[in-house]
Amino acid sequence: MSKFISKKDLNSWLNKVREKRRLIAPTKVEDLVLFKEISKVEDIVSDYVNTDLSPKEFFFPPTEVLFSIAKKDGGVELTPARVEKETVIFGMRPCDAKGIIALDKPFLEEPTDPLYREHRDKTILVGVACLKACPECFCSSMGGGPDDPAGFDIMLTEVKDGYLVQVLTDKGKALMPDSMLSESKEAKPKAAEVAKVPAEGVNVRLRQNFDDPYWGRLADRCIHCNMCSYVCPTCYCFDIRDYPNKGKSDRVRSWESCQSAGFTKIAGGHDPRANKGIRMRQRFAHKLLYFPEQFGVSHCIGCGRCVKSCPVNIDIREIISDVQKLGAKGE
Amino acid sequence: MSNNKNPLLPHLATLQNVIDLTPDVRLFQIDLNDADFKAKFDYKPGQFIFVSAFGTGESPFGLTSVAHRKGPIEVAVRKVGTVTSSLHDLEPGASVGVRGPFGNFFPMDQFRGKNIHIIGGGIGFAPLRPVILTILDNRNDYGDLFILNGARTPSDLVFANEFDTWAAAPKTRLELTVDAKDDNWTGRVALIPAVVKELQLSPANSVAILCGPPIMIKFTLTELKKLGFADEQIVTTLEGKMKCGLGKCARCNVGDKYVCKDGPVFTFKQISGLLEQF
Repeated sequence: MSKFISKKDLNSWLNKVREKRRLIAPTKVEDLVLFKEISKVEDIVSDYVNTDLSPKEFFFPPTEVLFSIAKKDGGVELTPARVEKETVIFGMRPCDAKGIIALDKPFLEEPTDPLYREHRDKTILVGVACLKACPECFCSSMGGGPDDPAGFDIMLTEVKDGYLVQVLTDKGKALMPDSMLSESKEAKPKAAEVAKVPAEGVNVRLRQNFDDPYWGRLADRCIHCNMCSYVCPTCYCFDIRDYPNKGKSDRVRSWESCQSAGFTKIAGGHDPRANKGIRMRQRFAHKLLYFPEQFGVSHCIGCGRCVKSCPVNIDIREIISDVQKLGAKGE
Repeated sequence: MSNNKNPLLPHLATLQNVIDLTPDVRLFQIDLNDADFKAKFDYKPGQFIFVSAFGTGESPFGLTSVAHRKGPIEVAVRKVGTVTSSLHDLEPGASVGVRGPFGNFFPMDQFRGKNIHIIGGGIGFAPLRPVILTILDNRNDYGDLFILNGARTPSDLVFANEFDTWAAAPKTRLELTVDAKDDNWTGRVALIPAVVKELQLSPANSVAILCGPPIMIKFTLTELKKLGFADEQIVTTLEGKMKCGLGKCARCNVGDKYVCKDGPVFTFKQISGLLEQF
């Protein structure tokens, strides 16, 4: 027996959820499906395979004020930003929950990033299992899976007329108590078939082929648009600087990309990664070697968004295969 | 590590004094506003802080003062970018922000009993001053002290007003060199690696501590190795673009290390073991 909620009851639940909270869910924006704040539950779409962007921005916004700076009594007063409203993100796919788990690693390790912590504490994640996969999906090769509930507070699986429900945390239980759910004998539908990528042991191969000319050849066609970093659910490099704001200033954190020229340029002009090939190697070494070895989880969650968005078809799946083929050279 | 609960929120501080060291380098003496934080603020040679020029941003600077002298916090800032230009525009009494101290430090305890060669180029000499002051204030704990300070021109030599004190200290030798002399200069005109070669620094029971522009480090390293210095006897501070100092912004990531957390002080043995070479 599984817990069940009908589509009609789910919609009235969502309506109730958004009375006191910010409800974020997939909705159509021109020809894209994006996570947006929902004012009418009817605007939520359910016939998407995955959203074009992950919900990373609700935890780590593209630009976010860390604190404001005001002149006061001949000195300075700093006012840290706070997260006011509780948020429910509905309709996330399992890969994106893995993305949040990966983001948690650098931001929540000591010393914890307080603003990220607050975003996380005030957000409830409601996932929906994937019954279909995109051609670019490869989550099951990166430590996830199309019906993996890890990271969610509530996980739904679509069946006829409704959803099978797994309530996974106390936060989830408080939002969706048992009393709302009925019992269903319906069998759990088969999760999506996801293409495989030979990612096992790629960290070792990357280390062995770190100085291979492969990276330079690969980067030849990169136009450093940084799209891969911006669509990535786990990329977290950032910049911090002050911006004027109505007579005061804000200290602002914003997304940065290791693919940008000048990302590592220091005062005096020295840039240890002035070369495009070395910058590209950094992106894949961080995702597939440094981060997994530092935190024990992959920094690529296999969502395929970078594959889909790259204007010059640089494809992380191909890179993983290519690096494996380079073999044990240098060891 | 900072005692501040929000590690990105600076502690408010006041510029006590601003001293011109060279035409483009100023020494900032900073007094922390919060008495409790000030009492707890402790740091070691080689560590760094972020200093905020409010309205422009913040940048990391190696501390040039030593905690045991109980004076103001000092950083030497060369005017090269937007934050450093804004800092140079500030006058004593101005409010600034301080985060830190961050990073590891020179292992002064392990250096005890050893001869110390300090080799600094340009503004790179700034983070070496705490090593010198620690040795001079505990003179019997260390062997011979050799100081080589080099700069582009005589007027670019930092801490010139302290040279006499250093040169007069027991078991201490100070050498100065410039790339290009002016009318008043009667000293050496040579690049730092050439001076290291000429003076035949001895690796026996010694460590060499280098800091300066990458090109100087590279060629000085070559000379030291020719003189018989082993990689673990050569210590430097790496420079990396940094935004947080907490190992989060990923800007100073080198191989699987972060300059801000794992460094900035590394031996060349550690550096040659890094996957990526900066």
